[in-house]
Amino acid sequence: MAARLERLPFGVGQAPGRWKLWIAVLTAIAILGWYGWYLEISRGMIVTGLRDIGPMGGATWGMDVSFIVYFVGVSFAGITVAALVRLAEVKALRPIARMAEVLTVVALVLAAFAIMYDLGHPLRGIVNLFKYARPQSPFFGTFTLVISGYLFASLVYLYLGGRADAARCAEVPSRLQGFYRLWAAGYRDTPAALERHNRASFWLAIAIVPLLVVAHSTLGFVFGLQVGRPGWYSALQAPSFVLLAGVSGIGMLILVAAVVRRTVPGSDRLNEVVFRWLGNALMILLLAYLYFMVVELLTSIYTGAERERAVTEALLGGRYAPVYWSAVALLVIPLSLLLMRYFRRATGLATLVASGVMVNLSAMAKRFLIVVPSQTHGTLLPYQAGSYAPTWVEWAEMAGLIAFGALLLAVFAKLFPIMPVEGGES
Amino acid sequence: MRRRLVVWLMVAVGFGLQAVTYLFLATPIGRPTDDSFSNPRIPFAPVLFILGVVLVFLAAVVYEVLPEEKHHDR
Repeated sequence: MAARLERLPFGVGQAPGRWKLWIAVLTAIAILGWYGWYLEISRGMIVTGLRDIGPMGGATWGMDVSFIVYFVGVSFAGITVAALVRLAEVKALRPIARMAEVLTVVALVLAAFAIMYDLGHPLRGIVNLFKYARPQSPFFGTFTLVISGYLFASLVYLYLGGRADAARCAEVPSRLQGFYRLWAAGYRDTPAALERHNRASFWLAIAIVPLLVVAHSTLGFVFGLQVGRPGWYSALQAPSFVLLAGVSGIGMLILVAAVVRRTVPGSDRLNEVVFRWLGNALMILLLAYLYFMVVELLTSIYTGAERERAVTEALLGGRYAPVYWSAVALLVIPLSLLLMRYFRRATGLATLVASGVMVNLSAMAKRFLIVVPSQTHGTLLPYQAGSYAPTWVEWAEMAGLIAFGALLLAVFAKLFPIMPVEGGES
Repeated sequence: MRRRLVVWLMVAVGFGLQAVTYLFLATPIGRPTDDSFSNPRIPFAPVLFILGVVLVFLAAVVYEVLPEEKHHDR
């Protein structure tokens, strides 16, 4: 039986001035993003930089689709870490399991919003998806497995994992007592309940791991199975998606854990061991992803067909070269830092945070480079090379989504313990 | 016992629903030869598939939240 709490842990229920200011800033940016969406719905896609492929020399998928892929990628880390904690019994990662689960849920919600932004008629899109979608299509896999199945599974995992802490928080007199009672749903801290929870979450983790690999691969197949689109059609697309998802997700988890360690009282358990695990995981994933990048590049420039080479040349020395080489640098620099950190057994948190920021910026750029150049430079019909530049509306929408995500995380941290309560975790 | 039965039933029905929808209710699988390959065989078949996925994961909640029958607690 765990010790009774005297007050809500980790600053839950307290709203200091600095937190309120942070919330106000994030809300303002999120509202700006929604205003951009309002403009898109009321005036049409003309307010974006999206244009038809070919005759209009544009791209029909731009920032929105790039960020759908990016957000789904970020969601990867959360549930993977949570499943690792359960299946491989990696106890060192236990303190970050919940924030990882929340990160997954938030990232998937943002991905769903980004899908809505990309649709000219969101409501019609949703109805037609439910009415006519083909389960054999990778698009349908993305919607069912990623957005509904994966999001629902993550919510279930988060909910069940939090019941014990909710029951403990419900014993503390506070304005949130009713909410905790609802979450706890009659949970009692008994060995039988604990055993039942362990069994349920073990099987849940078993079910989630293949689901998340299939889900991320399906998103890769949306691009990788398009035979008439040089730059996309590749067997490496699906595994590359999974790897870059891991890189961006672990990078983001490092950032969230660092912010929690700095701002949340009593988060001492986020120690060097936790960050070393995350740093090493990021280093291995980065190495694997860079290997995939080199293989893909060599294949397309060594034996690539004419249009395949056109896309690669646009990346290496053409219109997209500044973004491409920045993305490469933002992968190579953190890898070098992490390798140095590993061999010197250094403990600097700043290196990890910098690496987390860099790999996420790189992942955003890489997602853009996966989505856009194939449309502007990879068409098989005899069109001139096109161009795509996002407008301020698209920038505002994406900034708004990122702010909304940070807002959700910040609010969650004040409503519920962002880390498992010590002594109460299974 | 009843709780376990409900959970297994949910898992079985969930997976069953996914399989039946995928194979028999959604758009036919195979090389398209006519218009019937464009639409699902029953409207809103994709919703049934999603329901199947949701049902399987919801079984975990039922397993944990549904109280044990009294003779088990004794």
